[in-house]
Amino acid sequence: MEQNILSRNNVKVIGTGDRTILFAPGFGCDQTVWNIVAKAFEDEYRIILFDYVGTGNSDLQAYDVNKYSTLEGYAQDVLDVCSALDLEDTIFIGHSVAGMIGMLASLREPQYFSDLIMLAPSPRYLNDPPEYYGGFEKEQLLGLLEMMEKNYIGWATMFADTLLNNPNHPEVKSDLEDRFCSTDPIIARQFAEATFFSDNRKDLKNVTVPTLILQCSEDIVAPETVGLYLQQHLPNSTYKKMNAIGHCPHMSDPEETIHLLRDYLKNVTPSRRF
Amino acid sequence: MDEQLNRAPCGFLSLTEDGRIVTINETLLEMLHYPPEQLQGKHIQSILTVPAQMFYQLYFVPLIKMKQKVEEMYISLKTNSGEEIPVMVNALLRKRGGERYSDCVLFPIHNRSEYENELLIAKKEAEAALLAKHKANKELENTLEELKEQQKKLMDLNEQNQKFKIETKKELELARKIQKTSLTDPIETKHIQIQSFHKASRELSGDIYGFYQIDQHRYGIILLDVMGHGISSALITMSLHSLFQRLISYGVNTDIVMKELDQHLHTLFQNNEEARHYCTAIYLLIDTKKQKIEYINAGHPPAFWLDKNGEQHELFSKSVPIGMFEGIEYKTNTVNYSKGDRLLLYTDGVTDLIGPNQLSKLFMKNRESSLSSLKERIIASLEQQKSEKQRSDDQCLILIELK
Repeated sequence: MEQNILSRNNVKVIGTGDRTILFAPGFGCDQTVWNIVAKAFEDEYRIILFDYVGTGNSDLQAYDVNKYSTLEGYAQDVLDVCSALDLEDTIFIGHSVAGMIGMLASLREPQYFSDLIMLAPSPRYLNDPPEYYGGFEKEQLLGLLEMMEKNYIGWATMFADTLLNNPNHPEVKSDLEDRFCSTDPIIARQFAEATFFSDNRKDLKNVTVPTLILQCSEDIVAPETVGLYLQQHLPNSTYKKMNAIGHCPHMSDPEETIHLLRDYLKNVTPSRRF
Repeated sequence: MDEQLNRAPCGFLSLTEDGRIVTINETLLEMLHYPPEQLQGKHIQSILTVPAQMFYQLYFVPLIKMKQKVEEMYISLKTNSGEEIPVMVNALLRKRGGERYSDCVLFPIHNRSEYENELLIAKKEAEAALLAKHKANKELENTLEELKEQQKKLMDLNEQNQKFKIETKKELELARKIQKTSLTDPIETKHIQIQSFHKASRELSGDIYGFYQIDQHRYGIILLDVMGHGISSALITMSLHSLFQRLISYGVNTDIVMKELDQHLHTLFQNNEEARHYCTAIYLLIDTKKQKIEYINAGHPPAFWLDKNGEQHELFSKSVPIGMFEGIEYKTNTVNYSKGDRLLLYTDGVTDLIGPNQLSKLFMKNRESSLSSLKERIIASLEQQKSEKQRSDDQCLILIELK
């Protein structure tokens, strides 16, 4: 079972240290987005990287259309990895939607996590006036899905058919050497729908694990109002505004990201629970 | 900027690492309807539609950072006046003077985009059709599964039914044997010979008879036909049998025998009109010493009496069947016979097949034959007729020779 999970989710364990950091990628890309940031911590921490089923170099055959139609399915991937590696009091760092995926996982099995660090998170992307401003109207998110589809036009049909014909699709092999930001269009669309049409606001108050919110500047995907909303509604949270511009500070500004992570982690007592 | 690049037949952009425009060529400015300088230093987001702004963050940024290039990315630009322009983008991350820049080439794909839209629509339709097909197949499979289950149930029921049928048949076979054992054996003495034939239309018969030697000279002979046939009629015959056996053996008077049987049927059905069965009966008390026959015919077909001169008489019914009206008095008739006379008692199952005239003729014609061969001839005639008719009633015969 453990071995299955490790290969299914393309789990990589690097570095040494008493504490463990689990890096979770956001929507769209695979674990390599963490390469620069993770490298900075590998001397002091045990680092775990993984891909969700359906992305990166995960096992496409394990993809289940029903399971991965909501973020709970992705949270289960995180829990499976934690269980397979027998993790405890792990520092979870998730980019974008992974912030919410980590939160959902912590609600089900809090003992796995000591801290949740959310990089550019959002509990809901759609506006819900007048109380909530997520940044987007439904049409704009549908426009994004359409744009994704158009970028897949060259190789869409084959995968669509195989997925529909056979839910286990054993013939789908990972024949793409590099699936960095490209994955099966059906899977990508499901992930996008699960991400951008989710609403996790009601779960925030139940979170027991301490949380760090890293808010980027000029981030169209997760605007500042959203970061502040999270800080208000997550019971034990710290909010840090970054100078980094855009939605991907771990790639665009790894130095600032590393610095802020270190800053936070030095205050985290090694064994909070004992 | 190089004039050739400035006026190239495609848009050209150079972005700083955090996405600000440092260079933009005239072709692109014209495409976007912006005057020169206005976009200088602006973030690329200002010339993207909202979905494209997201797409840029989710795909362009990771790709250019991690792979240093973007190939054939489709996004949409937003002009100064808010119009959308679908474009294809190729980009490279280049180092110049210690800074890193994303150099982008953009060219509009209006027609191609239209074509792709249509392709996408067709693809979605095909997928929807495929899904519908899968759904229909699934439903068919479910229906088939249900059918199989129903069929299985039916087969189980059928098997049970078959088992029940076999068991019932066995039971009926046993019941028929029990009914048969209640029938009396032929009698042959110095003064009288009695033979009989009994055949049920189904497993069980509504006909019953009995003949008993009461004392040295007296014989009691009874034949009854309970309305209907099958299990209910047969049960009634058994109930009557135990009664008439005792009554006749005790040598009770003819009219009392009939009255007791009548009363017995009324008692059986007094609280159950639905189950009411009536019964025709003929009872003969023969005294071989006095050469006298006392009889009562209660609604039964007439018995034939062939005297030694070859003349045939009939012992007609003068009463209603038993079990019909309560309180009926049955009146005994008496006739005297001579040695050599013969009697034939039968139920309507016999005359239904061969008719009373033919039966009477057979009886008369075979008066010189033994009683056994007479019986065989009648049975043969019945068999012949039976094969022609599909269904028949219970059949019963009693043949008596007075010596």
